[in-house]
Amino acid sequence: MLSHATTRDWLIPYADGMLAMDERRRIDGHIAGCARCAGELREVRELNLLLVTLPPAPPVAFAPFWLNLQAVLPQRRALRMPRVQAYRRLGIAFAMAATAALVAAGSAFAAPSALPDSPLYPVKQLEEGMRLSLAPANERLPIQLQLADERLREAQAMVSNHKPRLAEDSLRAFRVIVDDSAAGLKNSADPKATKDALHKLHLKLDAVQRENASRGDDDQQVKQLVDAANDELDRIEQEDAVAAPVLVIGEQATPQPTPRPTPRPTPRPSDKDHRD
Amino acid sequence: MAQSEEVPSTEGDAEERRLIDRSAAGDQEAFRQLVLRYHRLVINVAFRALGEVALAEDVAQDVFVKVYKALPTYRHDKPFKHWLHRVAANTVTDSLRRRRPVVSLDGLDQPLVSAGSDPQDIAARHDLQRAVRHAIASLPPHYRDTIALQAFGELSYDEIAKALDIPLGTVMSRLNGAKRLLREHLGDLVRPSEEANTA
Repeated sequence: MLSHATTRDWLIPYADGMLAMDERRRIDGHIAGCARCAGELREVRELNLLLVTLPPAPPVAFAPFWLNLQAVLPQRRALRMPRVQAYRRLGIAFAMAATAALVAAGSAFAAPSALPDSPLYPVKQLEEGMRLSLAPANERLPIQLQLADERLREAQAMVSNHKPRLAEDSLRAFRVIVDDSAAGLKNSADPKATKDALHKLHLKLDAVQRENASRGDDDQQVKQLVDAANDELDRIEQEDAVAAPVLVIGEQATPQPTPRPTPRPTPRPSDKDHRD
Repeated sequence: MAQSEEVPSTEGDAEERRLIDRSAAGDQEAFRQLVLRYHRLVINVAFRALGEVALAEDVAQDVFVKVYKALPTYRHDKPFKHWLHRVAANTVTDSLRRRRPVVSLDGLDQPLVSAGSDPQDIAARHDLQRAVRHAIASLPPHYRDTIALQAFGELSYDEIAKALDIPLGTVMSRLNGAKRLLREHLGDLVRPSEEANTA
């Protein structure tokens, strides 16, 4: 027979249906012969009833809710790659022609080396967006990998220049590019090249992390973003490994080892970023 | 023990992950899609806690602004919904705490939980619900946040454990403590009538 104290301790999980069958039976046994504990149980149930009968909200229209919310959302410097729809490509081509002179004139300065703190950086973004949107589907992946690599070069430079906010923007843009290219990476025609590219991106991320760690006031946000980006690359590699087809020769399937993610190299001080 | 079963949805998860990553990178259209998915849930949590639509919308807006700001640090290591619930519960209970106390319990000496649909009963029930909300607001933070997820978020013990990153046993212990204090705060309001006792 349970004591009053133990029974009272268990009444709330009992009323919430959280006790195992044998525990329930023991409580049932006590309550059957104890008016005081039975009274407490009624109170617990009355409270539960009150809690679950707090009513849900009436329907709220989404459009005005979103408009109000959008008005107070903080503006971020969006470094995402524009996802251009087909019918807009013609317009972009026209815009490209119109701005060709400007781009050509500025390309000597802006071109691929502009960093996020440069006034010419938007020209670089425009050029990258056009290049990606006009590329045939089978040529997008190498461009995406190149752009991902470029974002990490920028992130490292921004960390080095004490501009962590811009480094964070570049790291977020990196994740968006990786996210966009995930399907292409998983279905790559050249898995070895893809694996090498992912390996290189890991090394670059490690370089950003080292650069950040080497500063006295290392930025936690940068650290978290690099960790998250590494996790994302690992996830793609793992999914890629799981999705790898089993070779079938005749009627016998070649036994395959359990897919394992490619181990990430431990960053070493000597891993230099050779791009720069 | 009764635990909720979650049906994994790889495709849905992948789409949500994409929306989260894009939102974190500043893509407001992606964030709009996320808000569209979850605004109802957040407004419901806020309304259950606060009891006023306009106020619930304001608080829900605060929740989504916090989420938008914090998304870049979100690591996908727990379901987004659980993380959102936690942010919502914290924001809502903060708001509730700032607004209390408005209600006097003096006129509420009758147990009204099981009251019918008479207009007077409805009004009295609204007062009682308000009393419960404010009793929750007066709890110590660790109790308050846990019971808020159960009462306002309608989460199971298991879901609360995941949202708060605490063991199931801790959830039980906190809910136990929270409900004991609530019964003390609410006194006769949660005591069934003699009629009910003898029925």
